[in-house]
Amino acid sequence: MNCKMSRILILVLLLYKTSIAQNKNNFKFGNISTKDFATAVYPIDSNASAVVIADIGSCTVEGNTKGWFSIINKHFKRAHILNKNGFDIANVSIYLYTDGEAGEQLDKLKAVTYNLENGKIVETKLETKSAVFEDKIDKRRKLKKFTFPNIKEGSIIEFEYTTVSDFINSPDPWEFQGEYPVLWSEYNFTVPAFFTYTFLNQGYLSFTSKSQNEGTEVYRVVVPGGASANERYEFSSKYTDYKWIIKDVPALKEENFTTTINNHIQKITAELVERRAPLSYYRYVGNWQNVSTQLLDYEYFGKSIRKDNGWLKEVVSSIISKTDTQEEKARNIFYWVRDNFTCTNYRRLYLDQSLKAILKAKTGSVAEINLLLAAMLNVADINTDPVILSTRTNGYTFTLFPMLSQFNYVICRAKAGNQYFNLDASEKQLGFGKLPLRCYNGEARIINENGKELGLESDNLTEVKNTFVMSFIDTAGAISIALQKTAGYAESFDLRNDISAHGIESVENGIKKAMGNDVKIQNFGIDSLKQYELPVFVHYDADLGIDKSSHFYINPYFGENYKTNPFKSAERKYPVEMPYLIDETFTFQMILSDGYIVEEIPKALMLSLNENNDCLFEYKISNTSDNVSLRSRLIFKRTVFAPEEYELLREFFSTVVKKQAEQIVIKKK
Amino acid sequence: MKKNVIIILLSCFAIQCVASDGVYAVANIPAALLVKTNVVKRLEERNFEITPNNKTIYKRKVVYTILNEQGSRWAYLYAGYDKLSNVESIEGQLYDATGKKIKSLKKSDIKDESGSSGSNLADDDRVKWYNFFYTTYPYTVEYEVSISYKGTMFLPAWTPQEDNEMSVQQSQLKVSCDSNNSLHYKMYQYSEDPEIVNEKDIKTYIWHVQNLSAVEDEYAAPDWRRLTTSVYLATEYFSLEGYSGSNASWKDFGKFVYSLTKGRDVLPENIKQKVHSITNGLVSDREKVTKLYEYLQQNTRYISIQLGVGGWQPFDAKFVAEKKYGDCKALTNFMYSLLKEANIRSVYTLIRAGDENDYLIPELPSSQFNHVILFVPNNNDTIWLECTSQTIAAGYLGKFTSNRSALAIDESGGTLVRTPVYTMKDNLQIRHAKAKIDESGNLNVLTHTSYQAEQQDRIHQIINRLSKEEQIKFLRENIDLSTYEINRFNYEEIKSALPLAYERLDITANNYATITGKRLFIVPNIFSKSSQRLTINNKRKSDIVLDWAFSDIDSTEIIIPDDYTPESIPQNTVLKSPFGIYTTQFNIEKNKITYIRRYDHFGGSYPAKDYTELVNFYDAIYKADRARIVLLKQ
Repeated sequence: MNCKMSRILILVLLLYKTSIAQNKNNFKFGNISTKDFATAVYPIDSNASAVVIADIGSCTVEGNTKGWFSIINKHFKRAHILNKNGFDIANVSIYLYTDGEAGEQLDKLKAVTYNLENGKIVETKLETKSAVFEDKIDKRRKLKKFTFPNIKEGSIIEFEYTTVSDFINSPDPWEFQGEYPVLWSEYNFTVPAFFTYTFLNQGYLSFTSKSQNEGTEVYRVVVPGGASANERYEFSSKYTDYKWIIKDVPALKEENFTTTINNHIQKITAELVERRAPLSYYRYVGNWQNVSTQLLDYEYFGKSIRKDNGWLKEVVSSIISKTDTQEEKARNIFYWVRDNFTCTNYRRLYLDQSLKAILKAKTGSVAEINLLLAAMLNVADINTDPVILSTRTNGYTFTLFPMLSQFNYVICRAKAGNQYFNLDASEKQLGFGKLPLRCYNGEARIINENGKELGLESDNLTEVKNTFVMSFIDTAGAISIALQKTAGYAESFDLRNDISAHGIESVENGIKKAMGNDVKIQNFGIDSLKQYELPVFVHYDADLGIDKSSHFYINPYFGENYKTNPFKSAERKYPVEMPYLIDETFTFQMILSDGYIVEEIPKALMLSLNENNDCLFEYKISNTSDNVSLRSRLIFKRTVFAPEEYELLREFFSTVVKKQAEQIVIKKK
Repeated sequence: MKKNVIIILLSCFAIQCVASDGVYAVANIPAALLVKTNVVKRLEERNFEITPNNKTIYKRKVVYTILNEQGSRWAYLYAGYDKLSNVESIEGQLYDATGKKIKSLKKSDIKDESGSSGSNLADDDRVKWYNFFYTTYPYTVEYEVSISYKGTMFLPAWTPQEDNEMSVQQSQLKVSCDSNNSLHYKMYQYSEDPEIVNEKDIKTYIWHVQNLSAVEDEYAAPDWRRLTTSVYLATEYFSLEGYSGSNASWKDFGKFVYSLTKGRDVLPENIKQKVHSITNGLVSDREKVTKLYEYLQQNTRYISIQLGVGGWQPFDAKFVAEKKYGDCKALTNFMYSLLKEANIRSVYTLIRAGDENDYLIPELPSSQFNHVILFVPNNNDTIWLECTSQTIAAGYLGKFTSNRSALAIDESGGTLVRTPVYTMKDNLQIRHAKAKIDESGNLNVLTHTSYQAEQQDRIHQIINRLSKEEQIKFLRENIDLSTYEINRFNYEEIKSALPLAYERLDITANNYATITGKRLFIVPNIFSKSSQRLTINNKRKSDIVLDWAFSDIDSTEIIIPDDYTPESIPQNTVLKSPFGIYTTQFNIEKNKITYIRRYDHFGGSYPAKDYTELVNFYDAIYKADRARIVLLKQ
């Protein structure tokens, strides 16, 4: 099965041709009976420490007094706590955001704990005045936090609150799935006829019910008049009430080799597409060409990067004064920005300050640093476009049409001479034309007049690693090796970061520690540490001491093998996502002195995951009486594997680990 | 004469106050301070001004030269504050390598963020922070911060060399105190007395150091705070949101804490009845304590709310009775109230929980604690209760609070007490493993392991904090085998003052034994491979502190395929050292391998000169743990 295809297919638009009979819920706040306490183990998950009985979100669009509309989001949740490990569900945080003008408010919170005591239901109410706390994270973000009182094993808890949000274009997605199983998850969205929202569904579950109903409502908007009188508008409009229900939603937990659980969780994302009469017509979500053009003209994104920017000329010309070719110019500008600026926020799409201010401050978000880089390159007549993307931890973007709220990162694409270079100046240890792993997350978007995509699939990146070990046994039985390793792209980046944080000695000490104190490490060195375009090259010699026994058993990998299977879990619920392709070569040569002969070597092996050879492991070994040579290679030609392929993958790696553990037997004559 | 001293002092500090161009040039750093370091503290002036009305103004000027990227974390300025303190001002300058000023801190760029750790439901911790984010090394940052504290209960200690990898050119601590309120202090690694200046009603103390070189990291060194110069401070009198106290003695400090807890032990009527219905009919106090503790564990949970004086004063017993939650203070006070209702005396006891068990400075009565537990004297049959846990056994503390000093509080004040020590014999782990290896090297093994005392702390968490599903996930990811399945597993606990946990596992591990042609390689030690290895250091300076004692006993039986004969069998090992004793025995009879391993690790403090012996001891164990048997197919 082609996983990439299926991934795209999952993200289908929810189209409404027919309406399925409505499935009405019976959950009313406070409507708890003794029966509700009876279940101690729920069939959906016999191990669950808490079960969400119902989780219901209802969004409606209403006119506000700021001259526009707000989304009123009512959230109701009821949960049954089964044992102590489920107590965490009683701690609730509600996240609220403001950008200074528009904001989000919490309203009408109530929360009650129900306990069954001597056959009677005892209610304990949350004191919303004294027991709801506010944590102001920073200027823009805050959390409202509370915990339910009187929690015991067996408690049923229930909360209901409303948030009023001015951010109507991209409301928070509704997540049907979470840390605990949910028996009834329901999302309602009432859309007036003058707005069109699109709803995107992600996940592997199917809806128990989906429906829509229509009605008519009066909408009131007040436009503040400032000094003069407020203007009031009132009009009636039809609306459509959408409803999605999924029953018995299993809990979803993050497993290894997952880009982010966000890619797999069952959720619906709503996005405002257009408005129409009685409002003036406007399309919010266009095609990429439109969106791109708008972004280019947007004050907090592209507006200033193509300007003349005379104020940048002096600094740019001093950087490129001694260069000839376009590529040299581009490199020098890139190096200058990378080396002089510090990135303080790696998740940002827009500017929070002017390019001038950034140049002065020498710090900024990833968007600010790379947009400044783009502006500087343009000043040097190197055509550069910004590229926006969603990082791996942020999750995949929907590819059907532009949804800017899903993007969180900016890089540059520069055309120097006849070549294009993708640039990211936010990382100190990253070379010209290199991107960090987090950027390889599928489709990125080039922001210029065409708005074309840029494929940054994890399949485009290969971790190429080469290790060579030369080994020698002298006449006294002393074993020595010389090891040389060219690290892969990701490993080089990690090594450089590690060395910049802890020093080169920490790497050397790590190897010394792994080899043990009776092994002498000499001539340790790391090359191309500062040549960020090249892979890091590690080399050292080691004296392993003298072995006086009649037989030696030598593992040729000298610590460079896979010691355990990285696929630990016995089963897999969703696809395995590797960050890159793999191509690892290991070469080993051993020469014996007089007095020693090779008694036995491992068998050669050629292992393939499937008919397509998507994963390969090759183990070629040969010997004469005084010489052994080995070449092994591990190749992954694909990064995404379906859950059905998991067992094969795990077995494949198990064999690799086994083979790499095998020994060469040397005998003393 | 006295006047002269002041003038001299003033003049020598006046020079440093004005950082005219060049003063902070890297070239002015003595060579010895540039060895093995990434940051040099050029200058520090810490001034505490304790006013007669018990307020404290704390002014700090500090200058760091950041030599490279590895030192860059020191370029941050952090100023924490809460409801009881306020950041009055922050100033900062940036200098390049030649000492030329490049930039001043912009007030609008100071970040003001929540300092909450996230583990609290509510607290008032906030932090203001700043960084120039300069990237051309070396460079120098200079910060001046002024913070005012309501009260003098928490005076930060002076540790000029904040980290062993930092060198220090000059640092000074100056405390001026109203003569009505005397200053108490405790000095470490400071051989002289402080300079004292008396002027009118103000007494000023001055400590200073200069030219401290960076010190290399050493494994199992004593706490850095004890190895380097440091001065801890406390004032004789202090106040906290309307409560006032004295640090004159532990007794007096205890009286202050008592005043915060007094009268908070009133239980609602229904809870009183509950206490009696639980304890009626029980004979011994120990039984009553155990049952009431179980009641506490079943009916409350830990929720931390730390606001203002609430960081030091417990919510009253009624609050806990109604909400069924509280922090360590509230839950301990509630348990105290339950026991009081049952006529059992218990004592609210302050302690510092965590890794550092040698934290207390006994000579300096003051607030040195971060946790509260309950001490039940019970006529010398002492019972310790950790009231924030819903699962641990009555009377058991665990590594979190064991083996350390604590301050027991009652109406007469405070008394220093010691929590229990869990010895090598207590921290016992016994494992039996029965295994079978087939022709292709696959292993099936059944284990039965008992963990006692501190060895069961981790298992206790697995049993009580993880669901069955999470337990199996944990087991699948945390056993040191290459590819394996957990076929079955089971845990049991026996709760007592020396708790026991039993673990049974049935595991299949593919390719456990390595096969090359006609040879089979087996490491008989399947589960107890020590991973501890150290690197030799011939210049070891500090004592060695091995703060935990344990004993591991393994016996393993492995049935191997027929038709194999041993080619190589490891030697039996006996390693004796001041740090412990390690023995192994290998035996092969027909197709059965028997392996017995015992590792007694004493724990304790050792002189630096023993370090090489420790390295060799651990090395020898590391190797012996991986010794393999080589078998040849007939």
